[in-house]
Parts: sequence; C-alpha cells; structure tokens
Amino acid sequence: MTAPAVETHDLVREYKGGVRAVDGVTLRVGSGGIFGFLGPNGAGKSTTVRMLTTLLRPTAGTARVAGHDVQEDPDAVRRRIGVALQDAAIDPYMTGRELLRLQGVLHGLPRADCRARADDLLGRVGLEDAADRRVGTYSGGMRRRLDLALSLVHEPVVLFLDEPTTGLDPTSRVALWEEVRRLNREHGTTIFLTTQYLEEADQLADRVAIIDGGRIVADGSPAALKAGIGDPLLTVTAAEGSSPDDIARVLARFGRVVPGSVSGGAGVRLPGGSAAMADAVRALDEAGVQFQAIDLAEPTLDDVFLACTGRHLEGAGEAPLPA
Amino acid sequence: MTAAAPALRQTAALAWRSIITTIRLPQAWFPALFFPLVLMAIFTASFGGAPGAVPGFPPVRGFLDFAVCGAVIQGVLIAGTSAGAAFATDIEGGFFDRLVASPTSRVAILTGRLGASMALGAFQAVLFIGIAWAFGARVQAGIAGFAIVLVIAVLFAAAVGGLGVYLALRTGSGEAVQGMFPLFFALLFFSSAFFPLETMTGWYAAVAAANPITYLVEAMRLEVIGGATPGTALAGIGIALGLAVITIGASALALRRRLRVAA
Repeated sequence: MTAPAVETHDLVREYKGGVRAVDGVTLRVGSGGIFGFLGPNGAGKSTTVRMLTTLLRPTAGTARVAGHDVQEDPDAVRRRIGVALQDAAIDPYMTGRELLRLQGVLHGLPRADCRARADDLLGRVGLEDAADRRVGTYSGGMRRRLDLALSLVHEPVVLFLDEPTTGLDPTSRVALWEEVRRLNREHGTTIFLTTQYLEEADQLADRVAIIDGGRIVADGSPAALKAGIGDPLLTVTAAEGSSPDDIARVLARFGRVVPGSVSGGAGVRLPGGSAAMADAVRALDEAGVQFQAIDLAEPTLDDVFLACTGRHLEGAGEAPLPA
Repeated sequence: MTAAAPALRQTAALAWRSIITTIRLPQAWFPALFFPLVLMAIFTASFGGAPGAVPGFPPVRGFLDFAVCGAVIQGVLIAGTSAGAAFATDIEGGFFDRLVASPTSRVAILTGRLGASMALGAFQAVLFIGIAWAFGARVQAGIAGFAIVLVIAVLFAAAVGGLGVYLALRTGSGEAVQGMFPLFFALLFFSSAFFPLETMTGWYAAVAAANPITYLVEAMRLEVIGGATPGTALAGIGIALGLAVITIGASALALRRRLRVAA
C-alpha cells in the first residue's frame, strides 16, 4: 500500500502581526492523481505549498508528504518531491543543459546519469534545439518547460507545481497541460498543482480543493463539485412580441426559475439537462412565445466558488457580490 | 561513500556555477579587474618616479612593486561584493529556494559560493602580479613569497565572500549588498593599501593603524618589495584567516537563522 502523497492536519501558518495565511488546512491527497489546489491570489495556496516542500515551517499542525513528516524528516521529503515554484527560478546566464546537469549533481546522481537524464528530459519537454542556449534567451513557455524538467531530474514521487501557467499564452498553457498529463499517465507521478484558473483545475485535475482566506471551502472531483451546485441552467431570451414573464411562465413547468439569470429573458435550473431542453423549446412553441436565443450552461467551478464564498473567482479579492 | 562526499561534489558543482555565471556577466567581473588595474596604473604614473623622495616611504624599486598588493586586495573586495550581490539575487530570484527544497547539503550552499570567491581571488592575484611583473615589478621573496601573497589573497577572498554572503542572507537584497560597497571601499582607503602608514598623520594614521587590512596588505607587500620575515607572513595569514573565520561563521549562523525562520 502506498502512503498518501500529501496528508495535512490542521496546518496553520501565521505571519507577523497574527495574519493567518493558512488557517487550519486538512487535506488528504491520494497517490497517483492530479490534485488541483484552486483559489484566488492571496488565498494561501503558495504558503501551503511552501510548507509542503519544506521551505516554510508550519506554525501549527502537521504535514506528511510521500509518507514523511515535513518537519521531522525534511530531507526524506526533499528526496521524493519535485518542486517548480512560481516565477521559475532560472539562471539566465546558464544553458538549459547546464542547469539540468547541475540539478542532477545536487540530487546526487552519478555523472553519467546526469548527462543521460538531461538529454532525456530536454527531449521530453521539447527543448533539444535550445539546450545549449542561455536561458535568458528563452520565451516564458520555454522557461516553464525547463523548470518542469528541472523538477523531474531525480524522478520524484510527488511533483509540486505552483501556478505553472500563470503569465503564459494560451498555446503554451495547453502544451504544458499536455506535458503534465503525460507525466501523470506514463510515470505515475502524483501532481499537486496550484492555480487561480478555473479552466486549468477543470481540465487537469481529477480532484480539486478550493481554498479561500486560508481555509478549504470545497473539496472533491470537479464533476462532483459541479453536481453539488445543481442542474444545468437553461436561459431563453425573449423576441419581439413576447415578454420575459411569458417565457418564465412556460419554463417554470420544467424546473426552478432563477431570477436575473439573463437580461430580457428568463432562466431555469433544468434537472433533465439537454434532453429536457427539447421539451422546453416545444412547449414555448406551443404556447406561441417568441424567443431569439437559447442556451444551456452546465455549472462551472466558478459557480462552485461563488456558492462557497459569495464571490466570483476571476477577479476575486474585490468586493463580494450583494447577496 | 562517506557522508562528506556528496557535499564536496555539490560544493564543486555550485562553485563551478558561480564561476561561469560570473564569467558570463561582464558587470560581475569587469569592475573587479579593471578598477584596481587603472588605480594601480594612475598611482604608478603619478608617483612612479620618486617613491624614495617621499619621507616615510620604504625603500622600493618602483611604485608598481609597492602598489600591486593594494590592487589585489581592492580587486578581491570588489569581487566579494559582487559575489554577495549574486547570492542575494539567488535568494530573490528563487534559486536559493530550489536548493533548499532539494537534498543539497546546507554546507555546500555556503561553500559553493565561497569556493568560487577563493578561486576568483587566486586568479586576480596571479593576473595582477603577472601584469605588474610584465611592467617590471619583481617579487623579492621569490616563489615562496609569491605563494604567501597568494595564500593571503585567497583567505581574504574567503573573508570578503563570507561578509557578502552574510549581508545577502540578512538583507535578501542584491541592491542592499551592492549598497554596502562604499563602506568596504572606505575601509580600504583608511588602510595602508595605497600608501605606507609612515606617510600618514593624525587621526587618519590612527584609523589606518587600527585597520586589520593595513597589516594584511603590509604582509603581502613585504614579500614583494623585500623585508618580509616569517613573523610578518604569519601575521598576514593569521589576520586573513581570522577575518575569514569571523565572516564565514557569521554567514553560517545567518543561513541557519534564515532556514529556521523560514523552513
């Protein structure tokens, strides 16, 4: 039986002045999956990762990573984890190949293995052609890929990626996602990923924990979290000759009307999903209600975040929505 | 394999990284080579004709012989400041975190940087004395004297590197470390690095006489201009070693403190 990749109990980190960046986080991340730690800026994601990677001492609580306590046996943890922190810490004056070999030496790999590992990883992240160029000439996406390769030199059991795609263009982001998936699939590496992007958590993670204000507010698979929010939302916009009220009256037969879900129309939570959508359209036709646009939206992780915190994730940190 | 072997290998790898990143960044090495040489050239051109005519000046073949050790010490001071600033940049930029989150020996984090400073110090001493030699200066105490100059220069490089690393660990800011540079430079000017103690008067002479750099430079210089004794050599080595022990000890404590507060 494998130990959980990450197991924390009431983890707390208090900064000077009593600010609790992390305020009692209890998590259990099984081995082998991709875990997404989702939250807005300043929610406590990075502070948690710094504690799990032995860079920051917890104020209270315990954390075990890859079966070892981060405070009692930090070196055992360090040998088993790969770490790619925010703002890839990469020496601009060294080449990708040099940095990879240096990382190998720091992890105690024999010289020949350092070379072989560097070549292998450069190929895997698609940096062979840039391997002997100084990192200062790399694009943002190339740096992140090198950073990923650096964190894999010693074949870690658990890989921590702190906001791996922040600041990347969409193409580079998708390429990095693909690499992360492949790593998880082909090497069985457990991935602990922090992100402030809903889509990233949704696309990559098989399990998501949402953190806000240093506390976990939701924890589960993306599908289960979204299912917990409720049914898909059907919105219909009125055309000339009919009113939002007419639409609402018809739609109310199919589910719970959600006030204010669309301007100039009405919306309803539709338990039947897309199958029930056809019935709703037919009913509108039969009632002679004219409409111009119709949309069926599945719940998103943003809806989950909104339900848990009263705010939207994107642009969170601003004033909460009026209840 | 003993427990020390990985740490040695990590030290060598980190020292190598410090050296090649210094070589590839001209603003890291250019001032440490250029300014001491320019100052040495200016002093030699200005006073070169008649050092003997200045009261208090020791008997010397030429001003260049007198000035070269001051230039080595100055170069080592500038290089040590750059090394400290580079270490602070590692902390700011996250390279330090990468080391700390890996099983890299905590000792190697320090010795890697200090090893690079010592290697660069040795290079500076050989280069400066080689250039002075090409322009006619000679080391009176011969090969043994040259070796003593080299040992003092390398130990002093370790001491200044230790100070730089200490400041980097305490401030975590490359700019703050670089900002200490004028202070180091004042320390150099209030010493006998450029002029003999005997030519100084009043409070200036008193400050220079209390400055350990005075005795360190003096010990090196006597090997070059003649008049060194085992006593002067040992005093110079002892002072450089003492300074290195103090600054490296302080930086080791600062590292422990940083890791304890953080990790």
